[in-house]
Amino acid sequence: MGVTNGKLRMMKHNNAGAEVLPFGAKRSVNHAINTTAPDARYWSAQMSAVSTQRDRTSFMRIYDHFAPRLQRYLRNLGVSGPVADELVQDALLTLWRKAAMFDPARASLDTWLYRVARNLYIDHVRREPHWLPIQEGLDRLDHVESGRLDSQPESFFDQDILKQAIDRLPPVQAKLVRMCYLESKSHGEISRELDMPLGSVKSSLRRAFAKLQGSMRAPR
Amino acid sequence: MKPNHHLDDATLLSYSSGALPAALAVVASTHLERCATCRMRLLDADRIGGVLVQQQRVDAPADDARAAMLALLDAEPAIEQVAPPADIVEEHDPDRLPSALHPWFGNSMRALRWRRVAPGVQRIRATGINGGDLMLLRIAPGSKLPLHSHGGSELTMILDGAYDDMLGHFGPGDVADLDGEIQHQPVTSPGVPCICVAATDAPLKFSGWVARTLQPLFGF
Repeated sequence: MGVTNGKLRMMKHNNAGAEVLPFGAKRSVNHAINTTAPDARYWSAQMSAVSTQRDRTSFMRIYDHFAPRLQRYLRNLGVSGPVADELVQDALLTLWRKAAMFDPARASLDTWLYRVARNLYIDHVRREPHWLPIQEGLDRLDHVESGRLDSQPESFFDQDILKQAIDRLPPVQAKLVRMCYLESKSHGEISRELDMPLGSVKSSLRRAFAKLQGSMRAPR
Repeated sequence: MKPNHHLDDATLLSYSSGALPAALAVVASTHLERCATCRMRLLDADRIGGVLVQQQRVDAPADDARAAMLALLDAEPAIEQVAPPADIVEEHDPDRLPSALHPWFGNSMRALRWRRVAPGVQRIRATGINGGDLMLLRIAPGSKLPLHSHGGSELTMILDGAYDDMLGHFGPGDVADLDGEIQHQPVTSPGVPCICVAATDAPLKFSGWVARTLQPLFGF
């Protein structure tokens, strides 16, 4: 029995426990221990397989991990289920098409996919037709910029350190950061919703950003 | 020439999360086109977004969603992966407006059709922007603007010429990122008119009798 047949059968019947197949194994691990995400190097290798070999297994590893998270992100922003499903597919198709544009020295895969999903949200849901071309323009500028510098080593910033720094934020700052990113609320909206002066909203966000930026810059 | 005055941290977070009101986002994009430093800071802000999205707890994707994704890949034409585009040589054309402004004001500085709103002050207001007020201002050299503060947030970027106020000297590429508490009275430099792009998310508040006379002229 070929691996391909096994894979297809697995998809149709999902008889977990029978044979340990790559997808099934990966998925059950993901399901059980939600927090042990593979690191940036792992995703960089998957992206490389997608772009150079058009490798579907690597692509589906990326899909299995990121699609449900992007779906949750968009749903939290108030996007309806069917539209969120469509945008997640768009985001992953963009990844499939533009895998060669991914540069792990510049951004890790979760940053890259965050940008893609955020841009699709602004384009489709906020209906700002000029946002996408402008972001693509800024992206090209960075390519030109990084081309000018001598070849950079793959510099994976430590996501665990950033995660810890986010967890250590004081409660108010943590709440504001989440409202900003995960609810996409403007400073004015946050100020009204929490009945907090606009100046305090901004200064709390500034302090939070300084701490998180400091964690990314810290020597390891 | 590198800008000396940059986007505020809180503004960058809002831009990254897609929450900055549209008019302010246009000015922020205009600055980002000119400023590699702020593009790097924006990457930091996007990294925070990427980690927050990853930290969400989710279930494994459904089998039908995975099958649908694979079907989409089947439908993709087997195109060659395109390498990142070669360096775009950006010739410096003083007549060319920044790309982020093209949808609102066209691409030529010379072709702008200014309207006089006060002695020494000309303006073009963007129409159809959904969220805030966006305008170009052209202020005669050596003019003193009325003292004013801002109800909400204001972002201004200099395109040509310069001005000074209590916060310092502002030349091409510099951005003044002001919130409601700041009262300022810009004085434009002698020589050429000061041309800037400005966005607000709330009406300006002028103080003093000259300003009260000017206020209706500004159309607020």
